[in-house]
This record gives sequence, structure tokens and C-alpha cells, in this order.
Amino acid sequence: MPRLPNAAALASLRKELKEDDQAWPIRVTLSSGTCGQASGSIAVLRALEESLQEEGLTDKVHLRVTGCHGFCQQEPLMIVEPPDVLYCSVKPEDVPEIVTETLVKANVVERLLFAGPASDRRTRREADLPFFSKQDRDLIGQNRFIDPCDIRDYIAHGGYSALAEVLTSVSPEEVIEQVKASGLRGRGGGGYPTGKKWEQCRAAPGDAHYVICNADEGDPGAYMDRGLLEGNPHLILEGMMIGAYAIGSRQGYVYVRNEYPLAVSHIHTAIDQAREFGLLGEAILGSEFSFDVRVARGGGAFVCGESTALMASLEGHVGEPRPKDVHTVERGYRDQPTNLNNVETWANVPRIILNGPDWFAGKGTDKSKGTKIFALTGHVKNTGLVEVEMGTTLQEIIFDIGGGPQNGKQIKAVQTGGPSGGCLPVSRFSLPVDFEALAEAGSMMGSGGMVVMDDSACMVDVARYFLKFLQDESCGKCVPCRIGIDRMLEILTDFAEGRGTPEQLDLLEDLAWTVTVGSLCALGKTAANPVLSTLRYFRDEYEAHINEKRCPAGVCRALVHYRIDPDLCVQCGECIEACPHDAISEDGDQIEIEDSLCHKCGICQEMCPSEAISKA
Amino acid sequence: MANMVTITVDGATIRVPEGTSVLDAALEAGICIPNLCHMPGVEPIGACRVCIVEVVQGNRRKMTASCTLEAREGMVVEAHSEAVLRARRNIVELLLAEAPNSRAIQDLAARVGVTKSRYPMRNKDCVLCGRCVRVCDEVWQSRSLGFVGRGKDRRVALPFDERPETCKRCNACIDVCPMTITPCPGPMKEGGICGLCESQVTMVENIGDTCVWCELGRGFQCARWQLRGLLAPA
Repeated sequence: MPRLPNAAALASLRKELKEDDQAWPIRVTLSSGTCGQASGSIAVLRALEESLQEEGLTDKVHLRVTGCHGFCQQEPLMIVEPPDVLYCSVKPEDVPEIVTETLVKANVVERLLFAGPASDRRTRREADLPFFSKQDRDLIGQNRFIDPCDIRDYIAHGGYSALAEVLTSVSPEEVIEQVKASGLRGRGGGGYPTGKKWEQCRAAPGDAHYVICNADEGDPGAYMDRGLLEGNPHLILEGMMIGAYAIGSRQGYVYVRNEYPLAVSHIHTAIDQAREFGLLGEAILGSEFSFDVRVARGGGAFVCGESTALMASLEGHVGEPRPKDVHTVERGYRDQPTNLNNVETWANVPRIILNGPDWFAGKGTDKSKGTKIFALTGHVKNTGLVEVEMGTTLQEIIFDIGGGPQNGKQIKAVQTGGPSGGCLPVSRFSLPVDFEALAEAGSMMGSGGMVVMDDSACMVDVARYFLKFLQDESCGKCVPCRIGIDRMLEILTDFAEGRGTPEQLDLLEDLAWTVTVGSLCALGKTAANPVLSTLRYFRDEYEAHINEKRCPAGVCRALVHYRIDPDLCVQCGECIEACPHDAISEDGDQIEIEDSLCHKCGICQEMCPSEAISKA
Repeated sequence: MANMVTITVDGATIRVPEGTSVLDAALEAGICIPNLCHMPGVEPIGACRVCIVEVVQGNRRKMTASCTLEAREGMVVEAHSEAVLRARRNIVELLLAEAPNSRAIQDLAARVGVTKSRYPMRNKDCVLCGRCVRVCDEVWQSRSLGFVGRGKDRRVALPFDERPETCKRCNACIDVCPMTITPCPGPMKEGGICGLCESQVTMVENIGDTCVWCELGRGFQCARWQLRGLLAPA
């Protein structure tokens, strides 16, 4: 493919590609992102290719392998058009039936359709699924139409038209004005107004300006950026190009964590293809704008998602944050003005240009505009990537889209914003999701992780889990973060193991405050949030651990005791056989558990045929 | 002549050359902001956070370390506000529980009014202030010491734990280490610091934030000691 000399050439190529795409009589889309591949999409793909070969359908069927569509619970997903039908959890052995029934005879294979939990009615179209229909999928919804390894797919679906528009008819200052007017705020967690950041970076004096895409997503249970980067890498590149044009940068970097091999490979492919088409490099589309992007892979440190640590890592130094009294837009990568934005922030840019800032500002709440992608995980029926308008309530996300609790349990809390976020109880689920509302409730938007917990979760244990994560991931440079987190964890461990005292609770609060105000970077400044938010909403659980030496959810092992109800016990001896620690013995005509020997593994409870063993 | 900037620290107007840190500016003017990892002549890293101050901008107050904070024209800093004192005490308390046997840390604790620690004592022999690493790297250009590991596994180490040929055996690392000042000879108190420091503590309590000529100041080349001619200028 020769380089595209100008915007007109790009437009005519798009027209051509669109016609080619529509010429196919049958189109099959298979989602094969990281979640799809983990669920066996590669084997399904092989089976499909084989079947198509056997049936002689290869020149009639256009097979498109895409990234994640968002419904990770039901991967791999397959869409056949016509008749526009969505099959869930497809296995290789289902493929011959799909080919002979749906592709050849246009019949629907009923058993592979999505079955709603409430009724036996099965849903045929993707758009009709409650999981999808209640979302506003401007960003993640594009994944379904695009083969991430083929730039032509992206161009055919309107890709790079925002770039062409900007290069031909919009000045850099106007781009910044448009982004400012849209009200777009940083999606990485900070929520800083993007247009303002660009403006400051453009105005900052320096030899070179840099733009960076932060794809070092590391929050437990969060994978929005992975979904975008591996499903639609050109969207990110286009956003970066527009940003670079506005800021006056010639060089960009994508800092992506090495644990995302598919995203790394797709962004590399995308950059190579964009160079080949003349969309990266010198004089892009015949304009005076030149820009190139390089990929840097992160080495697995969570703290490198912090902007200054990321830049240190990019420079080849140890990934440790530095004080941000001088902002990175003034002095960042190589001490030059550097504009760093999150993957999702960059992804929002092209459509702000195409649809106009008013369209974007028309969505969302007063101060948080547009849509936001959340990674909905934990104890809900439908897990996956959920994109909703800002201001959607937690209730709608967790119950309407997420489908509510699993196995008839009660949902107790949701953890938003990753390890630095907080736990919000059910009573706060009417909260609209936007930057201010979440912060005010003691949590934060963060990058968009949403871990739902039901009543089997102990909040002291949850706080402990997140602190443990942060203790491992703190760089260890400053005292409040390194020692403070360690001491908070020490106190929580005391609580969980029955050594807690009421004085320690006060100490914990004092220490949490110190870590928040005293730490060097955002990791430390937010590290106490899991503790502070659980203390705020679930103080009774802490008090039960401390005063009554009791874990209400039965999670903290040291506080759990197994007991045999003599009235229900049939003296079968199954538990005595099963106990790996010889803690159960027969004493006269009663079977008893010796607490000092018991390791609280719960095997006896599972083995008991008469349900005589209970946990208290 | 360097450009001068004017800042306010605890109400005192101070003029310093552009590029000076707030901590240096304050120390120069005799406002003693306690500090640990700061060292004249090497790059500040803001690791110990003992020197935190509040920067006041209208109604907004932001807490940050003063050693890494560059003085900018018109900056208003509070080094001894209620919040700063509380945070500083808590941070020093964390340090004290890590290394209760260090004379430098004992003095630091006495200076900020910490006599007890609410945490179990750990008795470590390094608090990772990084003074040795930086003096080796920046002053002696030897780069024989560095940080290894992350988070709670972070430690100061020689390359591959062997003394490299680049090491000049200058012992600068030992000289600047806060753990090598001869420890206090007094007996350890349960959960607190030794009795000998208490005289100083009393002084702190009596005269508020006045400099008590702490041993730490001498070891760490405090401006007061320099002014008195008891210490060669850094």
C-alpha cells in the first residue's frame, strides 16, 4: 500500500473499503480478545476455518476476528449476519452446526443463544441483550466492527477521518478549544480536564514536546484499557495524533504493560500499518504535521502507572515517582513538556472532533461528561466491560446491567477505583457515577474498576487484601507509604487474628490520615482509601472483630470456630475420617472438634451428611 | 547575580536565589524544619517526608516535602501549622518504631516531641533515607551503592552484594548514615526512647518550636551549627 498523499485519498480509500465490506453475502464476527482466547476462541476459529473450507464457503463468508465486545462472561461470542444473531460461549464442537444451520440454511441454533436468568426466553440479537441495551457503547461498541490487526477495517468504519479533518481545517488552538468545550476529563483516575492539560503543555517552553499514552493498567480486576488497546488500537493512535498536533509534539510513546501480550502485539501492528499508510511519519496526509509513536513495555510495576514513575521508567531509570511540585506538562519526560493521558482519554478524542464538543458535553453530569467504561467484576451475574453515560447510578450498573447477585446471595458493597478507591455499601448505590459524587462518598472513579462483593465478603479482609497489594507495589521510596502501609496492614492483621484493641482503631485512623497527607505520590496518597472507606461504612464489622473477636462474614480464619450440633449429628464418623489435622475425635457418645488443632479448612462441614457442623 | 525570589515561611519573609529549595531557604533563615534524608550538596529526593510543610494558596493548603519544593515568587509556606506538626510527629513515630536505637532518630523524635511509639518496635538498622547512596553517587561519583527491591523489600546494596572496584573506600557512606551516630547509652524503655533524651524533650515542650541544638543538627550540618562556627560550612 502506498502512502496516502492527502485527505482526499483517504476518503476515497474509505469508500472503496466500505463497498468491499458490504459486498460479502455473509459476515461472521468472532470475538477473540484476551478474555475470548482464554475461553477458547482460537480453537473455535480453527474449527470455523476448517468447516468453511469443507462446506466451500470461504469466498462467501467474511470472517472477522475482533477484540473483546465487553461481555466477558459469555466469551467467545460469535455474531452471524445475516440473520444478525449472537451466539454465546461457543465451543469448537458447536461450529459445524452453526455452519450447516445458520450459514447455509439461515436457521438459528436456539441452544447457543443467550438465556436470560428470569425466563426461558432466549435473546437473538446482541442489541436486545439487557447487558448491552442498557449501555451507551460509543467506545467499546466499535470493537465489534473492527479487526484490530487490519487498519483497513478501522478506515472503513470512519477511522482517521477526525485526523484528516483536523489536519486540513482546524488549527491546534481550535482543537484545544474543542476538547476544552467538550468537558473531557482524564480517564486514568485523576479527572484533570484534558483540554486544560493540553493547553498548559502547548504553552510550556521546551526543546521538544512529548505525548504519552498510559496503558500501564494494573488495578486488580480492571481491564478497560486492555479492551480498547487490543480491540481498537488505531483509535488510540488517532487520538494521540490529534493531541500531538494540538500540543505541537513530534514524538509519542505508548507505555503498555508487558502482561498484556495481545495489546502489545496489536499496537505494534497498528503502528507499522499506520506508517505504511503514511498516517505516521513525516508530512502526514500531505500536511506539515509529522509525528511518530514508539511502544515501551512496562516491567510489571504497578507504580509505573503513576505519571512521573512512568516517565522515569521510559527514560531507563528505576520506576520511582518524583515530587510533582513542577507538573509533567512543564517538565516531564527528559525534562521536556510532556502530556500524558490514559488510553480511554485518547480514545475519546476522535469522536469529540467528529461529533463536536456539544455532542460530548451533552452526555453525563454537570462536571463529568461523556461515557465511561467500567470493568464490572466480582459477585455479579454478568461480568465484563460496561460503558455507560456518566451519572448512571451504581444500582443501574450492578443490578440492571450486571444482573445482580449470584446464587441468591445479597450484594453488600462495591469497590470502585481499584486499590486506591473505596468500598461503597448498598445504601449508597443510588449514587450517580461521576468524579465528584464518588470522591465525596469516600471512594473514587479511578480508572474504572468495579468489584462487586456479596455478603460472603468480610470488609476487614477486603481492606487487608488491598493493603497487601499496595504494600507489594509501593516503590518503597518514602516513609509514609512504605512504613505506613506496612503498619496499617499490621494493625488489620491484628484485627483479623483476634488481637485487635479499640486503641488500635484510633491509631489506624490517625495513621491513615498521615499516609494520605504525607506520601510522595498518588499511590501513597490514596493508599488509605480502602481502610478509610470501609471504616466509614462498615465500622460495625471492625468493632465485631475487635470487641467480640468475631468475623461476621466468617472469613477471618482465626475468628471462625466450627461446632458440631449434637442433636443433628448422626455419629457417622465421616468428619473424623475427613479431617486432615486430626482435630475431630469421638468422646464418649459425642463427636467433638478440638479448637486448638483445627485449621478451619471447612472440609468436615462439606463432608457432613446431616449438616450438623456449622461455622460461627 | 542570580534572580531572587521572595517567599514567606511561618510569616517570615525570606529572599533567596531562584532555584533554592524551601527547606534550604528556611534553614538559612534560622527556621528549623526538622529533616532526615536532606543533605547539603546532593539532590533532594523527598524520601523521609519529615520536612513536610503546607503550601498555602488562598483557601487551599497542600502538604508536600520542603526539600524538593522549589521556592517560587510569592509562595506562602507554613512549616509549623497544627496539621504539619501532627503529620510530622506521626511520620517520625513510624521512623522511631523502625529504628529506635539510632541516636539520630532519637534526637529527631525528641525534636518533634515524640517520646513513645504506638507501634511494636522493630529495631532495623536502615531507614532507607538514601544519604549513603546519593553521597556515593553524586559527590564521589562512585555509584557503588544503590537501592535494590521494591516496597518492603527495598534495601541499600552493593552491586551483586559485592564491593565493586569503583568503591574508593572513602567511608563517606558511613559518615552520612544516621544510624552510625553513636547510639544513646541509656537503657531502652518499653515502647519509648531512652531516658537521656528526655531533658531535651522537656525543652521542646517548654519552648515550643525553638531550636534545641539537637545532636542531629550537628550530624546533619544544620545551619545553626554552621553559623556558630562549630561546623565547617558544607
